[in-house]
Amino acid sequence: MTLRSIHTTTYSYSEPVSLCHNEVRVAPRSTSRQHLLRHDLQITPEPENLAHRKDYYGNDVAFFTVIEPHKTLTITGTSVVELQPADAPLPHLSPTWEEVRDHVRLHRNPESLDAFQFLFASDYVKPSPAFAAFAEPSFPARRPILEGVIDLSRRIHTGFKYSPHATTIATPAAEVLEARRGVCQDFSHVMIAALRSLALPARYVSGYLRSNPKVVGAEVSHAWVSAYCPGFGWFDIDPTNNVVPAEGHLTVAWGRDYGDVTPARGVALGGGEHTIKVTVKVLPEISAA
Amino acid sequence: MSLPGEAGLREAWDYQPNTAHYDELTTPQGDVRPYWQPLFDSLKAAGPDDLAIRWKGAQRLIRANGVTYNVYGDPHGADRPWPLDPIPLLIDPREWSSIEAAIAQRAQLLNALLADLYGPQRLLHESLLPPELVFANPSFLRAVHALPVPGDIRLHLYAADLARSPDGQWWVLADRTQAPSGAGYALENRLVTTRTLPDIFRRTRVRRLATFFQAYKDTLLGLALTRKENPRIVLLTPGPFNETYFEHAFLARYLGYSLVEGADLTVRDRRVYLKTLGGLLPVDVILRRQDDSFCDPLELRAESMLGVPGLVEAVRAGNVAIANALGSGLIETASISAFLPGLCRSLFNEELKMPSVATWWCGQEEPLQYVLEHLSNLVIKTAFPGGAQDPIFGAKLSASEKSALAARLRAAPHLYVAQEQVSLSTVPVWNHEGLLPRYLVMRVYAVPGPGGTYKVMPGALTRVSASLDSTVVSVQRGGGSKDTWVLGVEQESEFSLLRPPSHIEVNRATFDLPSRVADNLYWLGRYVERVESGVRLARAVLPLLSQESDPGAASGLKIASSILSGMHYVRPNQRLERDLVSMIFDSDRRYSLGWIVHEVRSLAWLLRDRVSNDAWRILNRLEEGFRTSRPPESLQLLEASDLLDQTILTLAAFSGLAMEGMTRGQGWRFLDIGRRVERSAQMTDLLRHGLAGPPADDPGALSVLLEIADSSITYRSRYLTTMQADLVVDLLLTDETNPRSVAFQLARLTEHVAHLPESQQREGESSSRRRPESKLILGLLTSVQLADVPDLVRPGEDGLWNGLPAFLDRLSKDMRRFSDALSTSYFSHALPSQQLRHV
Repeated sequence: MTLRSIHTTTYSYSEPVSLCHNEVRVAPRSTSRQHLLRHDLQITPEPENLAHRKDYYGNDVAFFTVIEPHKTLTITGTSVVELQPADAPLPHLSPTWEEVRDHVRLHRNPESLDAFQFLFASDYVKPSPAFAAFAEPSFPARRPILEGVIDLSRRIHTGFKYSPHATTIATPAAEVLEARRGVCQDFSHVMIAALRSLALPARYVSGYLRSNPKVVGAEVSHAWVSAYCPGFGWFDIDPTNNVVPAEGHLTVAWGRDYGDVTPARGVALGGGEHTIKVTVKVLPEISAA
Repeated sequence: MSLPGEAGLREAWDYQPNTAHYDELTTPQGDVRPYWQPLFDSLKAAGPDDLAIRWKGAQRLIRANGVTYNVYGDPHGADRPWPLDPIPLLIDPREWSSIEAAIAQRAQLLNALLADLYGPQRLLHESLLPPELVFANPSFLRAVHALPVPGDIRLHLYAADLARSPDGQWWVLADRTQAPSGAGYALENRLVTTRTLPDIFRRTRVRRLATFFQAYKDTLLGLALTRKENPRIVLLTPGPFNETYFEHAFLARYLGYSLVEGADLTVRDRRVYLKTLGGLLPVDVILRRQDDSFCDPLELRAESMLGVPGLVEAVRAGNVAIANALGSGLIETASISAFLPGLCRSLFNEELKMPSVATWWCGQEEPLQYVLEHLSNLVIKTAFPGGAQDPIFGAKLSASEKSALAARLRAAPHLYVAQEQVSLSTVPVWNHEGLLPRYLVMRVYAVPGPGGTYKVMPGALTRVSASLDSTVVSVQRGGGSKDTWVLGVEQESEFSLLRPPSHIEVNRATFDLPSRVADNLYWLGRYVERVESGVRLARAVLPLLSQESDPGAASGLKIASSILSGMHYVRPNQRLERDLVSMIFDSDRRYSLGWIVHEVRSLAWLLRDRVSNDAWRILNRLEEGFRTSRPPESLQLLEASDLLDQTILTLAAFSGLAMEGMTRGQGWRFLDIGRRVERSAQMTDLLRHGLAGPPADDPGALSVLLEIADSSITYRSRYLTTMQADLVVDLLLTDETNPRSVAFQLARLTEHVAHLPESQQREGESSSRRRPESKLILGLLTSVQLADVPDLVRPGEDGLWNGLPAFLDRLSKDMRRFSDALSTSYFSHALPSQQLRHV
């Protein structure tokens, strides 16, 4: 299936901004099950320069500078992506979580060395005994890892309340674990911290959901979790909706946590007070034929 | 003066080190080591009195040159005098060559390590280094991975702390890889010590430091990526509150680079520019004294306001080089040391020449077991840089603390590293009782030469402990420092950079002036002038207080108190005499003279690299005069008038230096604009408050006014003893030949403004209309030139001055508008930046 995503970020300022530098990660990456056909980035006012590169994790990053004084900055990323159905593995056939833990600990090949870096504390995710205790009921001895991951996602989905104004991006995951409320970023951070506390590699995925009023997280940028399973690779799971992403999830970028894949960030000179508005639309592409 | 008594004289050289430690001066048998003998004999021959006198001279030099360091967390900690011991540490030439070879090897090894970790990471794939040391390390900056680096050199200055164990072996205690400090202090120590012991220094063959700094300059010059002919190199400092700000200013001056803060730089079109009065000037190389993560709030630590947004992208585009390369803090950690012998063998196929202090990284099973079994003998540290915790000394822990620590180690072993407790060598330090042994740590430096081999500075920054009770060797914790004399002949011609001005690139062209510096110079000018006018005011009033029998004094005192309270120097309803003393001495009181003088010194500190050493000494003397505590009440008036006289002379010396010693660049211009603006504002206020009463030709009042305005002699030479208000006002307001008059200041300001650079290149501006400051100053000058003085001072219908008060009020208001317009046009770089974050 082919999807078209339109991601618009608008900054409005009370005072003019005379200079701003920005970094955006809004171009979906190509993966085994998705292929980026077209990507277009529109910025108003016109930036002085625009440079694309790949970051440390292979995500596309656009850097740009605006020097025209402005009170509104609009960034629109439009992408057309071809999506394959996910070939989901059978959870009960996956290796036990202890096997995964020990395999990664030895990191004998490039793939497991790559997974190894997603085991440690990062700015937004600090593994701790509290997270380990939270994860443990999902990981009894010798349970296949994917069964455990699916169970953990289910427990977050049922045990946490989706509450858009309960947290900010600065709320530590440990507090979210206590309060049991938050948004997709928070649930993803909690789940990643829980997995890493058992020495299981987990990464943060930022992306879009196909527009659908019944799904939480559509119409804004979304986030979910990916867990490492040797022999299969990275297994995506969305604890906010408690689903294994299939054709409705469009992957943009991944990293250790939100900080590695922030969709848009910038530093502006001047500007006074500012507000940010974000909209995302993902619809099936109607081919001309 | 506290010189040792007779008994002290006999015992002064009786030095008794603890034999459990290696002593640098003496052998275990108590003999002076042969290479120390000449120095020791010379010191002994000169005698302790001589050393004490020389030493006092050196202390004066340190204070006068403002060699300081800042102590964090101490409210009185700002710029303390740098503690330097007079006796250098000597290093034998043969011993030095093995230290030199070991440091050069280590620098090269660490550079190769960085090149791999920020590149292909072969060392991780081949299991030569545990990947935790990179992946779990908060100093591993993924944003700078694979960034272009000229010549694959990341360490452009490397430092190592060395210590000597009881068997005489040197060990590396720690590596400094991102922005090593202290090389400038080592140089300053050399300058002071050679002036303290010039004869001894001449007789001893000591290797010079200058070639090392020349090599450093060459390295930085070679980093310019595009404009290789005449690149602009800047030294980026976190600012005056940094612990070693003095050193930043000192090195910038010595190496001939502009000292800049993050806010002085901006990124456009993926290039770095210096914001100056003349517009944006491209920057090619940044010598940074700022930690990695603070360099760019966009890609590195978001909350940093010290950095330059977009800097990483400019490096990525290959448009600017940074020394040391961003990310080099990654290996500034003890845990790496444990792996260096193996890495040296696999990368260079050689043995590591100098061992690190024994180190166990706990992230592996065997070392962890060893550490758990030997906790009592080890020092436990966090494995990664920036670990907030102080080292834990296993020996000092109780049984329960020990088992708690063991539990923490088992829970997250990769976060800890253990080291053997170090035994340090001792060296004599001088105090007025004689020679005392103190522990020492020697910091040595290396820079890469052509071909990537490292050149080691033939000298070091030696730091000594405050006592023998603690092995903590830190200037922050009350220790001291020493010059380090590496003995031996020069291998090549060595000369001092401070010698010929021609060798320091004269790169201080006037358009190079950062806007922030212009702003500070302007305010320095204003504050210096404010001190002067305050002093003149106080000095004119003091005699009046003690001559109440004089018939003219009563009206003089009346006008003086009207001026003093009008200009907010004294408070209403206070005894004039007491409040005047407080206005002079009480530096806690806002706008007192002591307070303003303190502000002058703080501003000069911000301009430390721009203010000449002579000017700095003058400002230090100025502040010292006011810093001494308030004299007892009986002596206050007497002391005050001495201090005021002295201050006038000191200020005259400063003005003289500024007039004669500064090039007529934009820097001088802004300093002078500041003075002129302040002087005309003060004079206008003086006239407003001095002539506030009913119009009268009161000779007592008018002569006080002339005295304060420093114009009595001019007036008398013209009009003899006749006192007439219109003549006084003419002299002080409209006479362009009187250097104290308002008209004189406005005429100078008009000239200055005409010479200021055009502003179209400045940030956030695009047009070049006639600038507002230029319109305002022309208007001010014309209104004063056209003023009809006899008409202004004639009694009006209401019995008050006809038009004078309104005229002066307008003048004063327009002066303020002029000052604001200048700020907007030239200093408005300081707009606050903000983070824009997705939510």
